[in-house]
Amino acid sequence: MTLAKPPFSFAPMRRRARGLVVPAVLVAAWQYASSGDAAHQYAFVPLQQVGAALVELARSGELATDLGASLRRTTLGLAAGIVFGLVFGAAMARSTLARKLGEPAFQALRYVPLLGLIPLLSLWAGTGEFAKVFIIALAAFYPMTTASFDGLRRVDPRYVELAQSYRLTRAGLWRDVLIPGALPDLFAGVLQAVPFAWITATSSELLFNAGAGVGGLMQNAQAGARADVLLVCVLGVTALAVGMSALCERIAQRALRWRDHA
Amino acid sequence: MKHTLSLASLRRPLRALFAALPFAAASLAAPAAHADDAPKVVRIAVVAYSSGGKTQYAGASALIDADKSLEKALAARHVKLQWVPVSTAAVGTLVNEAFTNGSIDFAGYGDLPSVVVNASGTHTRLIVPGGVGSNTYLVVPAGSTAKSIVDLKGKRIALNRGRPWEVTFSKLLAQNGLKLSDFKIYNLDPQAGAAAVAAGRVDGFFTLSDAYSLVDKNVGKIIWSTKTAPEDWKMRAELWASDDFVRRYPDVTQLVATTYVRAAHWISQPQNRDAYVKILSASGQPESVVRREYADEATPWKEQWTPLFTPALTGHYRDVVAYSRQAGLTSTPVDVNTLLAPTFVSTALKQLGLDGYWRTDAARVASR
Amino acid sequence: MPTHALASNGARALRLPGLARLGGIALWWATPVAFVALWWLASAQRWFPPQLVVPPDRLAATLRTLLDTGELRDNLLITLHRLALGFAIGATSGAAFGILLARSRLFADYLRPTFDLLRQVPTLTLIPLLILLIGVDEPLKLVVVGKAVFFPVALAAYTGVHDAPRDLVEMARHYGLGRFALLCDVLLPAALPPLLTGVRIALARAWLALVAVELLSADSGIGQMMELARQMLRLDVVLIDVAVIGLIGFAIDRSIALVQRYALRWQTPAR
Repeated sequence: MTLAKPPFSFAPMRRRARGLVVPAVLVAAWQYASSGDAAHQYAFVPLQQVGAALVELARSGELATDLGASLRRTTLGLAAGIVFGLVFGAAMARSTLARKLGEPAFQALRYVPLLGLIPLLSLWAGTGEFAKVFIIALAAFYPMTTASFDGLRRVDPRYVELAQSYRLTRAGLWRDVLIPGALPDLFAGVLQAVPFAWITATSSELLFNAGAGVGGLMQNAQAGARADVLLVCVLGVTALAVGMSALCERIAQRALRWRDHA
Repeated sequence: MKHTLSLASLRRPLRALFAALPFAAASLAAPAAHADDAPKVVRIAVVAYSSGGKTQYAGASALIDADKSLEKALAARHVKLQWVPVSTAAVGTLVNEAFTNGSIDFAGYGDLPSVVVNASGTHTRLIVPGGVGSNTYLVVPAGSTAKSIVDLKGKRIALNRGRPWEVTFSKLLAQNGLKLSDFKIYNLDPQAGAAAVAAGRVDGFFTLSDAYSLVDKNVGKIIWSTKTAPEDWKMRAELWASDDFVRRYPDVTQLVATTYVRAAHWISQPQNRDAYVKILSASGQPESVVRREYADEATPWKEQWTPLFTPALTGHYRDVVAYSRQAGLTSTPVDVNTLLAPTFVSTALKQLGLDGYWRTDAARVASR
Repeated sequence: MPTHALASNGARALRLPGLARLGGIALWWATPVAFVALWWLASAQRWFPPQLVVPPDRLAATLRTLLDTGELRDNLLITLHRLALGFAIGATSGAAFGILLARSRLFADYLRPTFDLLRQVPTLTLIPLLILLIGVDEPLKLVVVGKAVFFPVALAAYTGVHDAPRDLVEMARHYGLGRFALLCDVLLPAALPPLLTGVRIALARAWLALVAVELLSADSGIGQMMELARQMLRLDVVLIDVAVIGLIGFAIDRSIALVQRYALRWQTPAR
């Protein structure tokens, strides 16, 4: 290595290390707080206990059951919400009539926080699986409709005209122009919908009749004042939300590879 | 908060129960020659504790589910039995919603929510009383210096609104010349309330026997309970049925009522006390907690499970109705007499030959 | 007025332009009107018990009562007060944080990873844990709202300042603009569009989180009012609360949108 280049520098490593300082301090502060009296320990549960709780949950199979139930509901709800959102948004984008009929209803509920709908839903639809999946579907429906609407609206009209001059059939128009054109927005919608649906799923379970599910796990943890289990749940839900987003992003990148512009 | 069942510990008492079964079945096979249409399914809501996807029922319902007698009796009429578990966090609300939208026929739950649902226009009837009731406790953080409710005036109290023990709390306040508005009431469900008092976030917490768990964990202490109060201050839970169902299918209602009376009879026998305690402690609540709930009781064990419609019962519900009006929880009057349906229990007692097993004397009319 | 281009689905438009326009506008009201008509019919015909489908007149009567007793107004004010306070705290600290993050390499080194990590933790899921940690008093609601507001605003501020056009910044430096003047005259205006978007997102999230925390554990506020009404099976009160919550959310969002349009009038079309 000639000396014309700057010598090996610790700078990048040093910068990395700096990033770890604050987390380390926070963890230390937490451990210190947890060494207090019983009342403190109730809330600031020592981190090793959190680890132990995770192991305990995994071993008893409880984690698998609850996680599985929540994931199952979320998948169902997401599928329903995304499909309906796609279709609804597309209809509103392509047909003014559909837009006039559909948009008022859409906007009416849009600004109501979903958890606020639960008291209504539980009376009309009970608190079983249907109600839980329905709310998740709603959580996915709204961003998906907006994304679908925006995406299709934004398709360059020149391409549409081009397709028409080539006498493309309706199906062809959709397949070759509209959907590919809207794809980035559609993926953005999915990217928004997925973590939101997951979080709605787990939080709404807190207000519904608990059955299997992460929300039920949190309810029981509250009952037993198990802050360690609660922390496991928070970390788990976060990790999954992040993971799901990352996965969707990966898929989106793959699917949009052929585009040479964003 | 009573929970359920581990079959292994129940083997001996269950065998006794099964021995009585043919006898009971014979008495239940009453003239079924009526041309009633029968429902396809009987749905009974029951308080349940669920963990990891497994659900465990509370109290008498656990027994009835275990021995399957009701299931078989209903099956003989081509009717299915469906238990609807309801989580302890919000029993009243969930059961009331279920009665309102017609998704259940029976429910084992508490007095105040039952009054609330009737005031809202959905009518239910009290089919089988659940005994003298459960104790309620006032818990404060372990380090608190409060000795009574008076010391907590102006402070924060966790009290789940609309739950039966709210009425007991109001009686405690009235006894001490206090009002609900003298406190900052936090409407937290029992789990959140327990956590809050343990962490010292609220200064008092009013709840059922889960109070003992807090004592055991050294995070709370009990400064008052209904053990030192008149008997009818206890919170009550009974078997309720939707008025519609009772009108349309009195036979099936009788079937269910008789089963529950029989269960009460089984529990009330002193030799079964231990087994029953084990059932309750098989989930959620440790055995020591359950034992303490039932310790030092003025009423003998047998009488604690009486399903009789006594004047004390009627008086209790008058109090509950009055409280709910006064606290602004309901605005429509409820006539207590339309709530009670004593005929099913009388018939059940005759069918089971248990007339006179429980005391009907004025000694139970109580302590007002 | 072209009478052919406005129609959709290949339908032929009316010859009379005025009528077409009227018809066009009327259609927007079709769904709401149909919905109200159906509701009125269902309750009049008693297809469902009145506890499940509240008759419109009963709803109106309840609304009047709630307004007369001031119950609605009082609870709403409490909730809005919490929102305002939490927003003020979260937005100012968030903006400051974001700007610092963009301008100071050292600050970013120390805090960026933690920021990114904490940002991902969903506010709603934290609520049960926060109840244990902070209790159920006002601080809980403020922390929840603050957290929901802080992160989107910080991120938006960071993006806005970070992406400020280099040439503007350099030109300002060239003219000898001091640090503070640079901030006020160049960076903040440049960051305004993304910042306003961030505020919009933050308010939507905060509203959701606040309603949730009030549902789960409050002694006052509109979320608590709704939860108590639910427990008392007062569907009419629940419906009114849902409507009010939705209207407020709508009003907040539209106000920011208006501010956005106003504040960005001077923006060059390039943006």
